[in-house]
Amino acid sequence: MPAANNTINSELGRIRLILIIMLVLLALLGGMLFSLQVSREGEFEESLHRQSMRRIRLPAPRGLILDRNGVALADNQPCYCLALYLEEIRKPGKWKYTVAEIQRRITELAVLIGRKPVITEDDIWLHIRRRLPLPLVAWRSLDPAALARLTEASCDMTGVDIYVEPARIYPRNELAAHLLGYVGKAELSDADIAGYQYTLPEMEGKMGLERKFDKVMAGEAGGRLVRIDASGFKHAEQVEQEPRAGDSVILALDSRIQALAESAIRDVPGAVVVLDPRNGDVLALASSPTFNPSQFVPIVPKVLWEQLNADPNRPMLNKAVAEVYAPGSIFKPVTALAALNNGAVSVGMTVDCPGYYMIGKKAMKCWNPNGHGRVDLRRAIEQSCNVYFATIGVKCGNDAISDLALLFGMGAKTEIELDREAPGLVPTPEWKKNAWRDDWRVGDTCNFSIGQGALAVTPLQMALMAAALANGGAVYRPRLVTALRDWQGTILTNFPSVKVRQLPVAPAVMEAVRQGMHDVVMAPTGTGRRAGIPGVEMAGKTGTAEYGQKEDRKKHGWMIVFAPYDKPRYAVAMVVDDAVSGGLTVGPRVHELMLGIFGGTPATETGAGG
Amino acid sequence: MSEFLSSLRLLKRMNWLMLAAILGLIVIGVFFIYSATSMREDSTADLFRKQMVWAAAGLGCYLMTAMTDYRRLRDVSWGLYAMGVILLVAVLFFGTRIYGAKRWLMFLGVGVQPSEIGKLAVIILGACLLSPLVEKYARLPSLWKLFALAGVPMLLVMKEPDLGSALVFLPIVTAMLFAAGTPVRPLVTLMAGGALVVLLVLAAVALPERLGMTPEHQEKFFQTIRLSDYQRDRIAVFLHPGKDPMGTGWNKRQSEIAVGSGGLTGKGFLNGTQNILGFLPRTVAPTDFIFSVIAEETGFAGALLVLALYGILTVCGLYAAMVARDKMGRVLCVGIVTMFFTHAFVNVAMTIGVLPVVGIPLPLVSYGGTFMVITLFTLGLIQSVYVRRPGL
Repeated sequence: MPAANNTINSELGRIRLILIIMLVLLALLGGMLFSLQVSREGEFEESLHRQSMRRIRLPAPRGLILDRNGVALADNQPCYCLALYLEEIRKPGKWKYTVAEIQRRITELAVLIGRKPVITEDDIWLHIRRRLPLPLVAWRSLDPAALARLTEASCDMTGVDIYVEPARIYPRNELAAHLLGYVGKAELSDADIAGYQYTLPEMEGKMGLERKFDKVMAGEAGGRLVRIDASGFKHAEQVEQEPRAGDSVILALDSRIQALAESAIRDVPGAVVVLDPRNGDVLALASSPTFNPSQFVPIVPKVLWEQLNADPNRPMLNKAVAEVYAPGSIFKPVTALAALNNGAVSVGMTVDCPGYYMIGKKAMKCWNPNGHGRVDLRRAIEQSCNVYFATIGVKCGNDAISDLALLFGMGAKTEIELDREAPGLVPTPEWKKNAWRDDWRVGDTCNFSIGQGALAVTPLQMALMAAALANGGAVYRPRLVTALRDWQGTILTNFPSVKVRQLPVAPAVMEAVRQGMHDVVMAPTGTGRRAGIPGVEMAGKTGTAEYGQKEDRKKHGWMIVFAPYDKPRYAVAMVVDDAVSGGLTVGPRVHELMLGIFGGTPATETGAGG
Repeated sequence: MSEFLSSLRLLKRMNWLMLAAILGLIVIGVFFIYSATSMREDSTADLFRKQMVWAAAGLGCYLMTAMTDYRRLRDVSWGLYAMGVILLVAVLFFGTRIYGAKRWLMFLGVGVQPSEIGKLAVIILGACLLSPLVEKYARLPSLWKLFALAGVPMLLVMKEPDLGSALVFLPIVTAMLFAAGTPVRPLVTLMAGGALVVLLVLAAVALPERLGMTPEHQEKFFQTIRLSDYQRDRIAVFLHPGKDPMGTGWNKRQSEIAVGSGGLTGKGFLNGTQNILGFLPRTVAPTDFIFSVIAEETGFAGALLVLALYGILTVCGLYAAMVARDKMGRVLCVGIVTMFFTHAFVNVAMTIGVLPVVGIPLPLVSYGGTFMVITLFTLGLIQSVYVRRPGL
């Protein structure tokens, strides 16, 4: 049957054709798979990564602020937060079921820990829309009781966990508040968050050292990669880069002396600075009234903020560096040094004080209306005789005094590591011409000689002056920060003490002035005798300067001291508002401070006994 | 009894390579159904076990069918066809509606797709009609008659609506007619006609917008040509892949990412990110998109293995057609292989984004009980033809 065979052969041929077509089609599929999976793999890998990976910025542990003995003044402590992990709580179906479940859990937990729910339904929706892969923090700063109840709870705790956030604390509260400043919520720049889809709350320094050394203490943020699923919930996470902890700042400050300094002026507006005259170390720097930076973290309560700013005594202002005062009589050693140094006056010269000094036809009163009689330099310093200093001031001329005042560091910022430092003012004829469009007169020189008039100084500048008088004429830059240290304790940077200059004053001249200052505290009639403490030989100078409206008769009381007299280790300047006089008002406070400072050390170490 | 024994003996002549390929695909299917559902906590985590049960049942059915003489189908072909049509009508009234389409009939808790039975019925009836008992005197039924017979179930399937399954009828019938020796010219004319219809449908979806018709006019136009929203969306997504990434285009896009990111050797078993993270929708991962899971986790190597197994099945099936003792066997095998091949080809092609997403599962691999049993039944028919080849 050839016909039938032909038919069959043609049919077999057709089946072969079908087979070939099918195999070609399969090969085609294989080819397309190859192009998709092998040639273009990276492209899809990339889309997969983009749609499923999210990067979270991890804040770095912030560096600490330590005093010279390693006492933490600004520290981090764990803040326990109760967080809900939504990927474990989610309900199938519409989002509202999940939201309802979250609310139910929060209500349940609220009863358990005994706190009112703080997040609303809107917050939950916002979290779902914006931060779904992150835990939802239901309560911050849980107390130990709440933590205990949570761990003992028998109810369903899936998806509920304690989440630890670092919180800034200031363990000593008000101590050194003006130096430390405080931190607040960081405002991250676009550059900071580039490449990150989510951020966690971060802190940044808003004031004081926290701000000045923010870069140092902040460290470097790290990143965590979170893989999310198709609904946006967290699926898995891995730390991509560990944050680098910030470095700690070590201060020259001695927290014991700082506490004493603050205590000495706790009840009156004012400022105290204690320096080490041997190297310019800032041992204490206090301003009163103060504030508690712990109350400012994580955010400054509005009421507190308004209250602090409305206070006429300006608690937020660091009066030790940012406020200027007329120094009054504590400036007189500068006048004396200037006059003796340029030879206008000799150490042995005496002046008769009748209780007033005639400037032309006008009389300038001495503070003692009965007059001090005939006084020499030593007696004049001890008694703070205005007539003597006006006389020698006029003799040597205002230029000699202002030159020396500038060398002492007055009229310029000391470059301490603090914000808003005021330069103060050392008046000169040029200055007066510019500012007041008036000529310099003899009266200006007289006022200048006794620390009155336009002369304006900060307490820190006066402490530096006291230090220079104490150490025989070395002017140091105040050193508040001595070193930076990384989190493992390795010292990274040492800031050496910087001697700015040696005053061009003959040692004999300096000695004469120091003797006068010695008597201020040590002589039974000295104006500063109330500051004296048993067993320690001290030197100092009191001052009183009027301020405000004349009829208010308000006076700043000043005192500078250094001790021990022979080998001074402490130089102090203290100013308080609304004083009767430096000797009466400030003297006892300095006494309290010095008693505290030396109270902790044996008498043998105080150098010159008796 | 002796008849049973002799047919058992026949099984020894079975094409073992084909059986091996079948088993290979089933095993791969079970593993990756497990992978696709392993991270789920609900009842679907059990799918791979159910699939094993179905596969066992299917393999039993496969052996029974292989033992049974395919020529007996002549007696039931019309009855089967009638049943298929009745079920297809029934599904329009009693079908379970899933995503806007009625494709499933539930019998005692087991879902059946009448379109599968329709395809099978058309293949069997076609094989019978194209091979009259006495070949010498017979004349082939006219092309038109056959197309009419295939057209009834096809239109019913389209009505469900299930455009993808309906279009599968076209290559099946064409291949069977071609293999049966139908003159080429009318066949080509027919195929050209079919292609034209497909092109017209695509144009109807794509053009109105391009021509700047207002949405209202487009709506009216689509109502006039009776193309449902759902069908339009599917085709539109195929034409504009970037459109609507979270809607209908989502599956296609995510499947492409899954396959593409698999690379040469894949991410490893149970490590398919797209699948675990749910970007590959969990409802379709073990069924229509099982190939994405395989391709993501085993890469090009694994995907190629699956394609190779389908190639082996195709070669074995068409070899059975060539060595068949009669024309009925030949045409039957060609019809079954074409159906099987079309399913596999369309499924893989849609997974990698070169064909629109139509609800066609991957035979022997996708999860699906009745589909598995019916597929194994048809493959059993091929073995039935093969074991009865001449040259005992």
